[in-house]
Amino acid sequence: MTRHLLKLVWNRKRSNALMILEICVSFLVVFVVATMGLFLLDNYRVPLGFEWKDVWNVRMGVGRNEANAGDAAAQQATLARLFQEVRSLEPVEAAAGSFVVPFDQGGWEGSYRVKGRNVDTGVDRATVGFDKVMGLRLVAGRWFEEPDATQSWEPVVIDQDLARAVYGTADPVGKALFDPRPDERPFRVVGVVSDFRKGGELLPNDNFLFRFSSLDHPEGQAFRNLLIRVRPGTPPAFEEALVKRMQGVAPDWSFEVRPLPQVRATAFRFFLTPLIVAGTVAFFLLLMVGLGLIGVLWQNLLQRTREIGLRRAAGASRASVHRQVLLEQLVLTSLGVLIGTLLVIQVPILHLIGVLSSQVFTAGLLVAMAAMYLLSVLCALYPSSLAARVQPAEALRYE
Amino acid sequence: MIHLQQVSKLYRTDRVETTALDNINLEIGKGEFISVMGPSGCGKSTLLNLMGLLDAPSSGSVALDGKAIDRYGDRALSRVRNERIGFIFQQFHLVPDLSVVDNVEIPLLYRRMSNKERRKAALAALDRVGLGSRTHHFPTQLSGGQQQRVAIARAIVGRPNILLADEPTGNLDSQMGDEIMGILEDLNQKEGTTIVMVTHDPRMADKTHRVVRLFDGRQVQ
Ligand SMILES: Nc1ncnc2c1ncn2[C@@H]1O[C@H](COP(=O)(O)OP(=O)(O)OP(=O)(O)O)[C@@H](O)[C@H]1O
Ligand SMILES: [Mg+2]
Repeated sequence: MTRHLLKLVWNRKRSNALMILEICVSFLVVFVVATMGLFLLDNYRVPLGFEWKDVWNVRMGVGRNEANAGDAAAQQATLARLFQEVRSLEPVEAAAGSFVVPFDQGGWEGSYRVKGRNVDTGVDRATVGFDKVMGLRLVAGRWFEEPDATQSWEPVVIDQDLARAVYGTADPVGKALFDPRPDERPFRVVGVVSDFRKGGELLPNDNFLFRFSSLDHPEGQAFRNLLIRVRPGTPPAFEEALVKRMQGVAPDWSFEVRPLPQVRATAFRFFLTPLIVAGTVAFFLLLMVGLGLIGVLWQNLLQRTREIGLRRAAGASRASVHRQVLLEQLVLTSLGVLIGTLLVIQVPILHLIGVLSSQVFTAGLLVAMAAMYLLSVLCALYPSSLAARVQPAEALRYE
Repeated sequence: MIHLQQVSKLYRTDRVETTALDNINLEIGKGEFISVMGPSGCGKSTLLNLMGLLDAPSSGSVALDGKAIDRYGDRALSRVRNERIGFIFQQFHLVPDLSVVDNVEIPLLYRRMSNKERRKAALAALDRVGLGSRTHHFPTQLSGGQQQRVAIARAIVGRPNILLADEPTGNLDSQMGDEIMGILEDLNQKEGTTIVMVTHDPRMADKTHRVVRLFDGRQVQ
């Protein structure tokens, strides 16, 4: 029977071509949306490497006087006083300075040379106490300490990804990181933290490097972000009190408080909105294709009532007519899916998208296939049951 | 073999009610070759449909080998149609999307057999009707007579013991008609196939064992 159906589908290729095309296009759309979703979901499952729930970010704008004067020492002094003030507040458990804010759009990407090859990594400059504020988990060595500022080497803390990329399985602590550059102190690893995913749950896990920012010794770009761990259950009203106290220390600076849960929500919105839009578009596309499919099947049925009547007269039961219509649809779907798969397979073959893992890719394919088969079966159910109800004598009467 | 008892068939449409068959009593024995005659619209095709189990009577009973067909479920009925009855339709009813040999194979699709056996049986049936050389043509590429012969091959491919032929020679010239009549007589004599044939041609009817005449749904004579 399968062979017979294949022949039938092949001989009707002209009227089937459009349906195969529709299925193929829908398959591609579902694949793209499913892969997007699965990519984010796959990222989401991996541990974040830090804790964000009770962390607040204060974005600081340097006062005009100090900024105009370009007076680094004055800025440094103000920062130190701000720290003191913030740490003295009752709801504050820990505070640290940082160049980047987890979940935030802004970032810092570095590319360094390791034994002649390039290693890309996210970078931050952070102060003492950052590990406490962010709840980092040290797997080797230690976090920065103030005396690190005066060494002949620059201390760095790396995450496990970066450690693996540079040292493989060897212990990185105490070793030099990257090939030295002439104008910089050589990097030396003082600690390793578990994978730190600055971009948040939805972005892939990348290498990460922390450089040291000393409160006593200004160097490089100073941090502009304060990260504060507050006691669990601290009311939002504390935000105002916090700004007031900081404003008291530095009247002409500006302070903007953003709890990290809020920053995280913004990041989620940023990545999920396109997915939701694409998902909605795909849903309506499938709906249209589904309705079209029902229409085409129905039309086919009307054109082919005589064939159905003939098959019934030749011994096909209602059930086998039902089955035939479903199977024909499945053959068409398989053709559309096959063409779609051949197209989609080009992505890994041609290395078009590097970030897609083969699991996510395969899962996306399977989801798209399942969706197309499900759609086809759903759309064919009613027409096939109509076909099964064709009365042979009726169907064979008209010429 | 086929037994019709007080069979009537009514067609109700929106406005009119047509009595296509009115109280028909007919007994057809095994190995008989019967012709059905009558003017157009007298109910010949309707009668054949009832005997071929394609339709149920409005009243009365149709029995096959002593068993009333309203006792059969769809599956069993389909099976009887498949294994015991061959139908040659007035309008051929070939599937345009299938080649000649694939058309002939259709009844065998609903039987348990291998593709190879199916193909062999279909080719043999086509040989028998003298179309062994046109197996991969499509129906539209054939003449009316050739199409009729494909329809016959399809009706006999499953070796049914009842053959119902609705004007098998109606669309053909007399020479072709004789040829087809020859095939039917051959089946009847050599294989004992029971045949009921609708015809308008008294010359053909003369060659059969018995003639059933219908007029306006009623059996005359
Ligand atoms: N499905 C139907 N609905 C309504 N009326 C029908 C139906 N089938 C047949 N009839 C009517 O029943 C009568 C008998 O039809 P039937 O097709 O059996 O005639 P016939 O003897 O085969 O005619 P012909 O020689 O033209 O083929 C006709 O009047 C026809 O109009
Ligand atoms: Mg007729």
